[in-house]
Amino acid sequence: MFKYVGKRLLASTVTLFIILTTVFVLMRQMPIEGYFDNFDKVDQAVINAKLDQLGLRDTMPVQLKNFYTGLLRGDLGVSNRYRTGAPIAEIIASKAPISIQMGLLSMAVSLLLGIPLGAKMARSKSKLWDKLGTGFIVFINAVPAAVYYIYLQSFGSKALDIPMLFNPASPLSWVLPVFSMSLGSIAYYAMWLRRYMVDELNKDYVKLARAKGVPGQDITMKHVFRNAFVPMIQYIPSSLLFTISGSIYIESLYSIPGMGGLLVDVITRQDNTMVQALVMLYASIGIIGMLLGDLLMVLIDPRISFAKREGVR
Amino acid sequence: MSEYKFTEPVLTVKDLVVKFNLRGQVLTAIRGISMDLYKGESLAIVGESGSGKSVFTKTFMGLLDNNGWIDSGAIEYGGYDLTAFKTERDWLKLRGKRIAMVFQDPMTSLNPLKTVGKQVQEAFTLHNKVSKEEARRRTIQLLDDVGIPEPERRYKQYPHEFSGGMRQRVVIAIAMACVPEILICDEPTTALDVTIQAQILELLKQLQARYGLTVIYITHDLGVVANVADRIAVMYAGDIIEIGRSEEVFYDPRHPYTWALLSSLPQLGVKGEDLLAIQGTPPNLFQEIRGDAFAPRNPQALKADFVARPPYFEVSPTHKARTWLLDPRAPDLAPPAHIRHLRTLRRGGIEHAT
Repeated sequence: MFKYVGKRLLASTVTLFIILTTVFVLMRQMPIEGYFDNFDKVDQAVINAKLDQLGLRDTMPVQLKNFYTGLLRGDLGVSNRYRTGAPIAEIIASKAPISIQMGLLSMAVSLLLGIPLGAKMARSKSKLWDKLGTGFIVFINAVPAAVYYIYLQSFGSKALDIPMLFNPASPLSWVLPVFSMSLGSIAYYAMWLRRYMVDELNKDYVKLARAKGVPGQDITMKHVFRNAFVPMIQYIPSSLLFTISGSIYIESLYSIPGMGGLLVDVITRQDNTMVQALVMLYASIGIIGMLLGDLLMVLIDPRISFAKREGVR
Repeated sequence: MSEYKFTEPVLTVKDLVVKFNLRGQVLTAIRGISMDLYKGESLAIVGESGSGKSVFTKTFMGLLDNNGWIDSGAIEYGGYDLTAFKTERDWLKLRGKRIAMVFQDPMTSLNPLKTVGKQVQEAFTLHNKVSKEEARRRTIQLLDDVGIPEPERRYKQYPHEFSGGMRQRVVIAIAMACVPEILICDEPTTALDVTIQAQILELLKQLQARYGLTVIYITHDLGVVANVADRIAVMYAGDIIEIGRSEEVFYDPRHPYTWALLSSLPQLGVKGEDLLAIQGTPPNLFQEIRGDAFAPRNPQALKADFVARPPYFEVSPTHKARTWLLDPRAPDLAPPAHIRHLRTLRRGGIEHAT
């Protein structure tokens, strides 16, 4: 087990190193305008001085070395166009918490609603609940999110008499954005849980459980639910971590000062250093999420063992 | 002929008809079966795939799929009429406690995410109110009883750490957890390799002798049948067409389908000659069957076979068959040569041996 964890950690570190290096080298190929907020107005001498100061005229190995030593100290570089002169780590630190809070809340809501819905649908397969649930899932997947987001915002705020825009100080104003953000995930969790549970319910061990006299309720809860949840558990850590990236649409709709849309923003503004930092951040989250997901699977599913098999086979 | 030593019926089936709804069409899977199951015997139900063997026994535990139902008839057991059981509550009185089942494929019939110990223990604690310690001790005892070495260590292991034969022992331990009165073994050895098959059958025989179980074997393996069964019921197209003590059905079969079935046994074939195969296919159970269901595939079928369904004719007090051939008016049609040969084998002394 520890050996496996060690191996996976090492492999993930190597992957991360390759990605970071690739991103760094690619970003160096971008036009140098991306390091200036007033490129057209300054003369060559100033440009050269700034490039020297940023170390952009060093050889690639030296640049890489400087980048990694900075990274280890938590230095992601400085924004040059998005918010001139501000350290990127600070920009992220000011925006991420609100996105993470919203994301965690909406994840909790979607798990709390999506999982019971999926379980209920599986248990009443092709009956009323299943059909209602399927209708909901199809609606959420087929109708562009923008449509029902706007409806929710305008009608929801009117019907419940709550603010249309986000205000960190008023908890009521959190309700609509969090709920809107959850809708997609509710449908997602319900759909997959239903599907996995229906698969499990048709398996032989369920027949045996029935034959040995386990009541139906206990079969779904004690046997089927856990087994059906295993394939989903893998994606939970990634979902948790990615709450940091926020939701572009919801955040702009409710004017939430979060991370949503930040990457798009800095790309359009050609803030090279920030693009680099954000891409690297999301890549790292992706890798860490996958790593944690795999480790969680090992913990929960005894069949997945990466050590040498012992016992009779 | 000696008296059959099992005489007390433990379960009685009367005119059982089971139907299924498949894509809007109604299929009759069991077409009016009547039979007694005697306390302490082992009955083998044989027949080809789709003859209704499994469906028939599933009705004893209320385990029919959702699209199936008992259309008419009665199953009497322990003072209940099982066909009147509607709710799960009714069935929980019997399932696992008084009637238990061993399934075909031990590779898939255990929950992969629960330890073997927990799964056996669950069956035990469901029907016995005991402390955790006691349940655990009894579970380990059970594992030991079904021949699992190092039960203490095995208790904590998962199904994937067990071989096929060992898993089947676990499945048997689950079935035996409450010492049922009737044990239904649905092709208990089909998924196992031959050496393991013998071990599992031996185990089942031992358990039967030890606890006085009544065992139903569902199988299409006549080798298994010869090994374990006191009585044989031959099923065809949702009906028992011949039933009798093993030696009666093996050595003196009367129904043309039983003849055909035995003739297709490789052991009875002649080296160098083609093995007999039964022509045609089983009847379509979506349609009503007239006469003897096997008649269309029987080259020597009588006219009567196509007109009316034969009743049971008694060959001996323990042996009966549904075929017009046993009617006094029927022509004296001789069974195929090798079936006749079987009769001489029996006279030669096998009966004395049993």
